[in-house]
Order: sequence, then C-alpha cells, then structure tokens
Amino acid sequence: MAATTESVKADAAEAPLLNKKNMFAGAALYIVFYGWVRWYEGVYGWSAGLDSFAPEFETYWMNFLYIEMVAEIVTASVLWGYIWKSRDRKVMSITPREELRRHFTHWIWLVMYAIAIYYGASYFTEQDGTWHQTIVRDTDFTPSHIIEFYLAYPIYIITGVSALLYAKTRLPAYQQGLPLMYLVAVIGPFMILPNVGLNEWGHTFWFMEELFVAPLHYGFVFFGWASLGVLGVVNIEVAAISKLLKKDLA
Amino acid sequence: MSASQSAVRSRAEAVKVSRTFDWMILFTLFFVVLGGYHIHYMLTGGDWDFWTDWKDRRLWVTVAPIVSITFPAAVQACLWYRYRLPFGAIVCVLGLLLGEWVNRYLNFWGWTYFPVNFCFPSNLIPGAIVLDGIMLLGGSMTLTAVVGGLAWGLLFYPGNWPIIAPLHVPVEYNGMMMTLADLQGYNYVRTGTPEYIRMVEKGTLRTFGKDVAPVSAFFSGFVSIIIYFLWHFFGRWFAKTDFISSENL
Repeated sequence: MAATTESVKADAAEAPLLNKKNMFAGAALYIVFYGWVRWYEGVYGWSAGLDSFAPEFETYWMNFLYIEMVAEIVTASVLWGYIWKSRDRKVMSITPREELRRHFTHWIWLVMYAIAIYYGASYFTEQDGTWHQTIVRDTDFTPSHIIEFYLAYPIYIITGVSALLYAKTRLPAYQQGLPLMYLVAVIGPFMILPNVGLNEWGHTFWFMEELFVAPLHYGFVFFGWASLGVLGVVNIEVAAISKLLKKDLA
Repeated sequence: MSASQSAVRSRAEAVKVSRTFDWMILFTLFFVVLGGYHIHYMLTGGDWDFWTDWKDRRLWVTVAPIVSITFPAAVQACLWYRYRLPFGAIVCVLGLLLGEWVNRYLNFWGWTYFPVNFCFPSNLIPGAIVLDGIMLLGGSMTLTAVVGGLAWGLLFYPGNWPIIAPLHVPVEYNGMMMTLADLQGYNYVRTGTPEYIRMVEKGTLRTFGKDVAPVSAFFSGFVSIIIYFLWHFFGRWFAKTDFISSENL
C-alpha cells in the first residue's frame, strides 16, 4: 500500500509527457505577434510606406527593419546556443519514457515550425503579391518585404533550425547521422532567404510588377518544394514512436 | 536504455499518446505542406488565380491544373504507400485553399481593398476528391496518374463554372463588348492590368468559339498526367528516411 502511494505520488510529480501549456503558449506567441505585425502594416503601410525617400518611411519602416534584424540575430544566437549548450551527452542512455517525452517536445517545435512556415511562405508571401499589384516599388525594402523577407522568413528559419537542433541533441533516433530530409525541410526553405538576393538584383533591372509568375521568382518556387522534406521527417518520427509504443499497442 | 522498460504505463495511455501524435503530425503536415504548396502555386499560376479578369477560358484552364497537381501527387506518394491513407490530395488542396482564402480576405481585401468577388481563389476540390478516390479504389499509381491526372485537368473548369459563370456574361461598356470580369478589372486597376501583359485568349483557338475551354482542359489533363508521374517520384524521394554521416558534409 505504502509502495503504491509512493508510486502514485511519483507519477503526480512527474512532468507531463506533452506540455500542453508550452504548446499553446508558443502558438499564441506567433499568432499574437503576427496579428500585431499585420495591424502595423495596415496602419503604417499606407500612411508611411509609399515613398521610400520620405522621412516617415525611415522612421516607421527602415527603423523597423534595423530593429528586427538585430532582434533576430540575438534570438537565433541565444536560442541555438542554449539548445546546443544544454545538449544531452548521454542521449543513448535515457529511459523510453524520457525518450517519449522528448519526442513530444520535439513535436511542439515542429508544430511551431508549421505555424512559422505558414505565416512566412503563405500569408506574407501572397500578401506581398497584392501590395506590388497596388503600389509600384521605389526600393527593395518595401513595407511588405520588410515583413516578408526580413521578419517572417528569418523567424521560420530560427524555428526550423531549433527543431532540428533539438532532435539532434536530445533524441536517440537522430544519433546515426544527419537526417537528410530534415536538412532538406529546414535548409531548403532557409535558401529562400538568400534567394532574395537574386530577386532584388533582378528587380533592379526589371520592374515586373505586372506578373507574379515571372521566371525571376522561380528560385522561391524551387526552394519551396523543399518543404516536402517534412514527409521524411514524419516517417523518421513515426518509426521511432512506433518502436516505443509497439509493445503496448499490440 | 533497457529494452524491457516501457515508455507508457498502460495500453490506454499508449492509445492516447498515439492519438495525440496523430493530431500533432497532421497539424504540422497540413501547415508545412500549405506553406510550400502555396508559394509554389502563387508563383507558377498565381496571376490566373488572383483575379477574375485573368480567369479566362484558355490559359487559366491550362495553367492552373498543371501547376497544382504537383504537391497532391507528392503527398499521395507518401501517405498512400507508407500508411494507406487516401487523403493526400485533399489535405494539400484544403491547405492551399485555406491559405488563399485567409489571404484574399485579410490582405487582398483587408490591406489593398480589392473586393473578394474579384480576387477569390480557384476551386480545386473536385479534382482532389477524384484523385484520392481513384487512388483508394485502384491502389495504383499508374491508374491514378492516367485517369486521375486527366480528370484533374478536365474537372477544373466545370468545378469552377458555377462560381465564374456569372462573371463571364457579356456586357457592353462604352460601346465595347466585354465580360463582367473584364469590367471588374477596368474598375480595379492593378499593375497587372495592361493588356500587353495580361495573358488571355490569343491566336486561332479563339475562332473555334465554344471549343476553347474543353480543348484547353484536355491539353491540361494530358500534361497533368505527366506532371503527376514526375511528382509522384519527387514525393517518394522526399519521404526517404536516410541519414548522412557528418563527415560527408
């Protein structure tokens, strides 16, 4: 009886397998932050974002760009540094239950990556299309670009690399090498950011506001395909989780 | 790690854990595929999808199915062959449509003030249902590519017809005959408005009159078959679980 009571107490004290609070707080962080960003665009896009030579453009948009760049570099350094520094050096000797808990935490990271990819590749990218169909650009740093290229893309890159680093440093399933499709799913969409170089270089020769499907944009398309690497990640995960649960589900 | 140890305390917990992972995997797959599919689609067929005055009987019907069968073929290749889940195409299309509708409402309308009945997305759901249905019933990639791919192209125009038909009725405006969709375009001027860039019906096919849409849909179905094959193998490649050693990097 006493032993049973002790066991129940231990169970109650144990961290939950899935920390739902963290998951919903993480999702809320992205959604609330991007809601605020969209509000900012709505207010200062029209009032201060039409003429890049105007002083208000510098105040509301270029300063936004400088701040976000510094914030992203700091966030990436701190987050990636922390995940790496706090890595498990005996990852192959963890208990199956701890491994399961870490898979859940890993999936919280992947859920965040999904939200970040949605905002970057879908929401703010197509939004850029309608902005350029409405306002002819006079700079590479248009209000829509400052959000799309230099905020939403770095955020999904930071999130994706964090997920990969977490898996690599804490999960036994990723100790046999570097997971090819995980690299594709994270590095491919990351390459969309350097591809902005090609895009902006091209736009200095050709306006091409008329056609969103212009070949100059195909670099984004090619690297967008890499998001399908998530299929390989799902397969690795399903195999690892099945191995942990197989005996109990049989 | 001991092989005899169990990760869960009971079968009930194992079932619960398994179901929770299912939902997290589905959510992630849905939104990551949404992002990749949407950026692909908007930059290969987007202009035809954005505006009603680009949704003509010829190039919209040709381009949209060809560029949109890609991700459904790839995701089907993983979900069906690995897990026997017959909803790869519909997951992709629902994701794409969600991304598009959110954008058209909150950004096309909410930021740049184009009315939603001018910039609503194309409907791809009938083709996706048929593609998944054929995969489920036939269980064959070749059958799905040939019959499903052709159906994907052929169904696109009829699937959109109830939505686009009211905007294709002819109107006379300042002595010119045009469609209602063209009139919307004249009233909502964009950088994509000029006639020299707007790729609408051109050439002798126009003289065929009523045959334009069926001929375009048939051609689109033919190319969709080829694209399905290609992207099926892309999907299989993306579904790999290979690891590479650090030394090879």
